[in-house]
Amino acid sequence: MTVPLRCDRLTKTFGATRAVDQVTLDIEPGELFFLLGPSGCGKTTLLRCIAGFYHPDSGSISIGGRDVTQVPAHQRDTGMVFQSYALWPHLTVQQNVAFGLEMRKISRAEIRDRVNRALETVHMIEKMDSRPNELSGGQQQRVALARALVVRPQCLLLDEPLSNLDAKLRLEMRTEIRRICKEAGLTAVYVTHDQKEALSIADRLAILNAGTLQQVGTPRDVYSHPQSRFVASFIGETNFISGTIREGDGGFAVCETLIGPIRGRFANDSIVRAGDAVTISVRPETIRFDEPPSERVNVFQGTVHDSVYLGEVAQHEVTVASQQEVTWKAFELNPRIVVRDRAEPVQIWIPMEDVVFLTD
Amino acid sequence: MMSRAMARWVFAIVSVLLGVAFVWPLFSVIAGGFYDGEFTLKYLCAVFRNPIYVEGLRNSIMLAIGTTVLASLVSLPLAWLANRFDFPGKSILTALLLVPMILPPFVGAIGFQQLLGQYGALNALLGLGPVDWLGKGRYLGVILLQALALYPIMFLNTTAALANIDPAMEEAAENLGCSGLRKFLRVTLPLAMPGIFAGSTIVFIWSFTELGTPLIMNFGRCASVQVYDALKEIGSNPFPYALVLVMLLVSVSLYAAAKLLFGKKVYAMQGKASVATASRRVCGLPGLLVALPFAVVVCLALTPHVGVVLLSASEPGSWYQTVVPEIFTTVNYVDALGHDMTVGSIRNSLLFSSLALVVNLILGVAIAFVVVRSDIRWRGLLDAVAMIPLAVPGLVMAFGYLSISARMSNTGIVRESEFLTSLVDVRTNPTLFLVVAYAVRRLPYMVRSAVAGLQQTSVTLEEAAANMGSTPMTTLRRITMPLITANVIAGGLLVFAFSMLEVSDSLMLAQQADFYPITKTIYELFQLLGTGRYIAAALGVWAMVFLAVTILGASILLGRKMGAIFRV
Repeated sequence: MTVPLRCDRLTKTFGATRAVDQVTLDIEPGELFFLLGPSGCGKTTLLRCIAGFYHPDSGSISIGGRDVTQVPAHQRDTGMVFQSYALWPHLTVQQNVAFGLEMRKISRAEIRDRVNRALETVHMIEKMDSRPNELSGGQQQRVALARALVVRPQCLLLDEPLSNLDAKLRLEMRTEIRRICKEAGLTAVYVTHDQKEALSIADRLAILNAGTLQQVGTPRDVYSHPQSRFVASFIGETNFISGTIREGDGGFAVCETLIGPIRGRFANDSIVRAGDAVTISVRPETIRFDEPPSERVNVFQGTVHDSVYLGEVAQHEVTVASQQEVTWKAFELNPRIVVRDRAEPVQIWIPMEDVVFLTD
Repeated sequence: MMSRAMARWVFAIVSVLLGVAFVWPLFSVIAGGFYDGEFTLKYLCAVFRNPIYVEGLRNSIMLAIGTTVLASLVSLPLAWLANRFDFPGKSILTALLLVPMILPPFVGAIGFQQLLGQYGALNALLGLGPVDWLGKGRYLGVILLQALALYPIMFLNTTAALANIDPAMEEAAENLGCSGLRKFLRVTLPLAMPGIFAGSTIVFIWSFTELGTPLIMNFGRCASVQVYDALKEIGSNPFPYALVLVMLLVSVSLYAAAKLLFGKKVYAMQGKASVATASRRVCGLPGLLVALPFAVVVCLALTPHVGVVLLSASEPGSWYQTVVPEIFTTVNYVDALGHDMTVGSIRNSLLFSSLALVVNLILGVAIAFVVVRSDIRWRGLLDAVAMIPLAVPGLVMAFGYLSISARMSNTGIVRESEFLTSLVDVRTNPTLFLVVAYAVRRLPYMVRSAVAGLQQTSVTLEEAAANMGSTPMTTLRRITMPLITANVIAGGLLVFAFSMLEVSDSLMLAQQADFYPITKTIYELFQLLGTGRYIAAALGVWAMVFLAVTILGASILLGRKMGAIFRV
C-alpha cells in the first residue's frame, strides 16, 4: 500500500527554541524523501513528530489522508529505524523482528514466515538467534531495518540510519535502502546531515535550517538551482561574490562586481530591477580553464596558486585581480595545471547558465 | 515516555504516601519541640540550658566529628591508591574493604569489647594488667567502631568521584607544567570534592545519631542514648522532642549545606573520556607496598567481626583474660536458632522486612518512572524528597513515629476499637509502624537502583516498541521491566537486607518481646547475664552470613555499579 504523507504548518517548540517552525511538506506516495540540514536544524524533531514521539504545538500531520496528529505513536503504523538502532538487548534478532507482528496479532505461522523473509531481504537470516550485542554495527543496522519493514508500515522513517557505520558500509547500505524502499513501494522519510547520502538516493529532499524549510526539490534542482545563500553554501561548495544588477532580460542579467561584469541567471522568479544588490554563487566545478567560446562572456584573468592535487581532480585557489583581489575555489577535472608554492597566470571562464544570482 | 496524566496520578499518590509516612512524623517532632498550645522556643532553649543535654549534644558532635575525620583518613588514601594503581589482589582487597557494611556496628561492639576490654584478648596477649584501651568515657572505642563501620561509604563515594574525572583534566595540568602533589591539590582533589563531601555528610549524620553502638559500649552521655532513655515519657515530656529537634536541625542543615555547596558544582565532564583512567600496574615489592595499607585496614575493620565470631564460638565463660576462648563450641549457634526469643525475632524481622520490601518495590519503581520517563514539572522534587530519608537520622524518624502513635492511641475512636489499637499503638503491636519506618528509610536505595536501571535503558528502546504498535502497558511488560529487572532485584535485596538489620527504629518502636526484630533481640540478649551475650554473638554471626549472601547477590546482579547506590 503506497500512501502520501503530509505535514501542514507544523510547529514544535522546546522552551524558547522553535525546533520546527511552520513546516509544510507534501510527500508523494512511494517517494524516498530526505530531510537534510546541519545539526540542530530540527530535522530529527520533525521526524519524531511524524512518528508520534513529539506532539507538535500546532499544525497537523496526515498519513495516507488520515489525520494522525492526535494518534499515539503505537497506533500510527510507521516503521522507524533509529539512529542508535534501539534493538532490544534482551531479545534475539528473531524476537526483535517478530515483536511488531505480535503486536498486530498475526498468527504464529505467518510471523515465522514473514520474519524469515524480512531477515533474508537484509541478509541476516543466519544470525536470527544472536543477541543484538553479538552483532556488528552494520548487522545491527540491517536488523533494525528488517524490524521496521516486516510490519509493512504505511511509511518508513529513518533517523540517520547510517551515521554509525564506516564509510564503505555506508555506500553499500544506502543503495540497499533505496532498493528495498522501491521494491516495497514504501513512502519513506530519511533524516541525514550527509549530503552525499541525500543527493545520491533521494527522490526529493528538503533543506532545513533553524527549524524552517529552506528549499524542497529534486537533488539536481536543489544543487544547481539553490534559492538562497544558505542552501547554496550548505549543499556542495560554492564561491560567493556580491554585486549590483546592471541590466536584465529573460531570466538572465548582467551584474556589476569588483572583478567586472558577470552574466548569469536568477535562481527564482523574484522581480529584480537594475540597481538591486545580489549575491552571485559560482560552483567551483563550473569554473573552466579551457579556451572560452567566442562571445568571451565571463572571462577573467588571474593567477592560480595552492593546488590540491587529488588525481582525478585538482582543487585550485584562483585569485582574480581587478579593482580588488578576489580568491575563488575552482575544481579542474582531469587536471592540466598543478601549482605548488608558486603562482601561475591563468585565464578562466564561467558558462553563464552556471552563474546563479541570489537575492537574499 | 509516560503519559502526563498517568505521571500526575502516580505523583499524587506517592506524594500523599510520603506525606503521611515521612513528612507527618517529622512534623510531629518539630511541632512537639516548638509547640505547646502556642509557638514557643522555651523547650529548645531549655535543652541548651540543661547541662546534661548540652553535654550529650557536645559528645554526639564530638563523636560525629571524630568518626568523620577518622573515616576520611582511612578511606581517602585508599581510594586514591585504588584509582591510580593496579596491584596484586586488588579486586579481592577492595571487596573485603566493603565487608564492614554487612554488620551494624553495634553487633561489632560486642566483639570489640571482648578483644579490647580490661579483661580482653589484647591485654592477655601483651601480658598486661587491666589496661582500659577503650579510653575514659569510651569516646575512642565508639569513634573507632563507627569509623571502621562507616568508612566504606566514603571509600565508595570517593572512588566514584575519582573515576569520573576525565583523565584529560590531569593531562592538561601536566601539559601546563603542574604535576605531583600540586596537581593532586589543585586539580584532582577539587574535582573529586563533591563526591568526598557527599560521603562525609552521610558518615557524619549516621555517626551523629547512631544509637546502637553507644548503647552497647555503655556510653550514656550522648544525645541519642538520652533520647532513647526518655522514650517512656514521650506523652508527657516535651524535652526529648526538643532534643530530637536539635539533632534533626543539625543533620538537615548539614545536608542542605552540602547540597548548596556542591550540589550545583557536580562538574559536568565532557562525555565519557576517550582514554580510560590510566591506572598503573605495579608488581613485586612496589605492588606489595600499595596493597599493604588495604590489608591493614581490612584487618582492622574485621577485628570486631572476628571478636563476634570468636565469642559466638566459645563455651560461655571460657573467654576471660585469655587471647582466644579456651573451649570452642557450636552450641551457641544452635541456641541462637532455638531460643524462644530468637525464633520469634527472626520470624518478625522476615515479616517486617518482606512487607517493607513490597511497599518499596511498588513505590520505588513508580517514583523512578515518573522521575526518568515523564516530563511533569515537579518530578525533580519527587526525586529529591525520596532521597531525603538518607539525611534524616533514623532516630528522629523513629521518635516521630512514636509520638504519632502515642497521640493516635489516645483518641477515643482508637481506644474503643481493638483492631485500631493493634494497628496504631506500638505498645500493643508495632508492625504497621515498623514496616512504614523500614520502608521509608530504605526507599532511597530502591529509587536509586530503579532510576539507574531506567537511565541505562535508552528510551528509544521503548519508542521502538511503540513504533511497532505496542501499547504503553505492553511496552512496560515486554521491554522495560525485563531490562531493569537486575536493578530492581538488586535494590530490593538491599532494602530487604538493611531492613533485616535495622537498628534505631527496631530498638525504639518494638517494645514488646513478642514483636522484637533481630536487632532488638541481640540487644536484649546482650544485656542478659549468663549465656546471653554468647547467644547474641551467635545470632549476630547468623545475621552476618545472611547479609553477606544478599549483598553478594545484589552486587553480582548490579555488576560494578554497586557503589552508585550508596552515593547521595
